[in-house]
Amino acid sequence: MSNRILLVEDDEVMPKIMERILHKEEYKIEHVTNGKEAFQRLEDTNYDYDLIITDIMMPYANGFEILSKVKTRKDGKPIPVIIVSNAGNEEMILEGFKLGADDFLKKPVIPGELLIRVKRLIMQYAK
Amino acid sequence: MEYSLYDFRGASLNIQIAIIFIFIAVSCTVIAYLSILTGRYKAYKREKKLANLNPVIDNLLMEHILLNDELASNVPAEQVALPIEVFQLPVFEKKWARQALIDRLIEYRNNVRGSMGEQLRNLYIQLELDKDSLRKMKSRKWDKKVQALAELSNMNMSIADVTILPLTNSRNRELRAAARHAYIKLSKNEPFKFFDVVTEPLLMWDQVELFKIISTTEHIAIPNFAQWITYSSNKSIVSFCLKLVVHYNQVSAVPAVVRLLDTKDHYLRADAINCLGKLKIEDVEEKLLHMYNSQPLNCRLEILKAIGRINSGRNVDFLRQEFLHATDFDVRKHAAKSLIKNEWAAKGLIQELIDTATAENKLILKHSMNPLIKF
Repeated sequence: MSNRILLVEDDEVMPKIMERILHKEEYKIEHVTNGKEAFQRLEDTNYDYDLIITDIMMPYANGFEILSKVKTRKDGKPIPVIIVSNAGNEEMILEGFKLGADDFLKKPVIPGELLIRVKRLIMQYAK
Repeated sequence: MEYSLYDFRGASLNIQIAIIFIFIAVSCTVIAYLSILTGRYKAYKREKKLANLNPVIDNLLMEHILLNDELASNVPAEQVALPIEVFQLPVFEKKWARQALIDRLIEYRNNVRGSMGEQLRNLYIQLELDKDSLRKMKSRKWDKKVQALAELSNMNMSIADVTILPLTNSRNRELRAAARHAYIKLSKNEPFKFFDVVTEPLLMWDQVELFKIISTTEHIAIPNFAQWITYSSNKSIVSFCLKLVVHYNQVSAVPAVVRLLDTKDHYLRADAINCLGKLKIEDVEEKLLHMYNSQPLNCRLEILKAIGRINSGRNVDFLRQEFLHATDFDVRKHAAKSLIKNEWAAKGLIQELIDTATAENKLILKHSMNPLIKF
C-alpha cells in the first residue's frame, strides 16, 4: 500500500512540484491550501497519514499550530512532520524543532534531498 | 436641443455654472467607470489566457526539465543540451506568453534549487528570454526596469555596471531599491561598490531594505566597511556602515570608528559610540568617559549605554554619580540600566541604592532590573 502524505501549502507552484516528485515514488499526496483545511482533513481521516509536509506562513492557522496539534496528540500513531518554508531565520527553525518538527527544509528545495528526507522519515516511523 | 441651449443661455449665471459643473462631474464619473471596466475586462482576459497557458508551461517544465532523468547527470548545467524544441510553440512568439513563461520560471526557481534550479536558468538563456529582460531594462518606464532587474537577478544574470550603477542612485524609490538589490546579488567581487556613487541620503527605510537584502543574500563578499566610514562624504552611508560593522562584528573597522569620535557631526558621533558599545570595545571606555561632559544629550546617552554594554565594571562609580545627580530623566534611566548591566561589579552598590533611593529612583531601578524591558 502506498504511503499517504498530507501537504499543507498555500503556494501555487510548490504543490505541483512536490506532487510530481513524490508521486514518481508512488507516494499518495493530498494537498490542502491552509491550516483550517488541514485540521479538517486530519479530523475527517482520523489522522491517517504517514507524513505531513507543511509550510509555516499560511492563512487561518499556521504551520506551527498544525505541528503542535499533531505532536501533542495523545492517541494514535505518531506522524512525522517536515516543515518546508521560505522563512529560514534561526528563531523560526528553533521554534519548529522545539514544537517537535522532524525536519526543516528551506525553500528553494533540492528535489532529490526532499525525496530522501521523506523516505527516511517514513521508514523510521514505520519501524 | 436648440430649446435646451436657449434655456441655458437665458438662465442665470449660478444656474449656468451649476449645469456646467454637473455636466463635467457626470462626464468624469462615466470616464472613470469606463476606465475601471476596461481595466477589469483586460485583467479578466489576461487571467483567462494565463489560466489556459500556465498548465501547458507547468507540463512542459515538469516533463522535460524537472522530471527529465537525462538531465540529472553530473555534467555542468550550462553544458547540458535541453530539449528546447518542445518549448518552441507558436504561442511563445507572443510577448505576453513569453512574459508568462519568464514569470513561471521565476516561480519555479523560487521553489527548487540545485541542478534543477540551474536547468531552469539554462532554459531561460537557451530560449533567449534574457533578451526580453534586457530589452525591458532599456524601457523608459520605471516599472518595466524594476521587472527586468527582478528577472535578471533571480536568474543570476550579470548586468553591466554602466547600466545598473546609475539606477542605484535613481530618484524613483522602487527602482533605486530594485537596482541596489540586484547589484548586491549579482556583483560577485564588489557588491557594495554603489556606496561610492550614492549622492542622495540613504533614508531610514532604504537602510532597513538594504540591511534586509544584505543580511539575507547568501555567498556575498563582505568588504571592510572602514573604507566608507573613513572616506565617504555621504553621512547616511557612514551611519549605515557603522550598523553593518556591528552586524558583521567587524573588529578590523574599529580604528576608523574610533577616529569618527572626533567628527563635528554629533549624530554620527552618537552612531560611532553606539557601534563601539555594541562591539564591546573596552579600550575606548576611558576616551568615552573623558569626552562625556562636553557632549550633547544624544551622545551622552550613547556613552552611558556603551558603558553598560562593555560591562567592564570599572565605571560603576561614574554611573552611580550620574544616576543620583543628573537632572535629565533619560540620563538617570540609562545610568541605572548600565549599572544593572554591570551588576557583577556593583552588587552591594545596587542594593544600597535601592535601600536609600527616592521613590522615583527606586522605580527606575526596579524598571531597569526587569529583564523583559529593553531600551
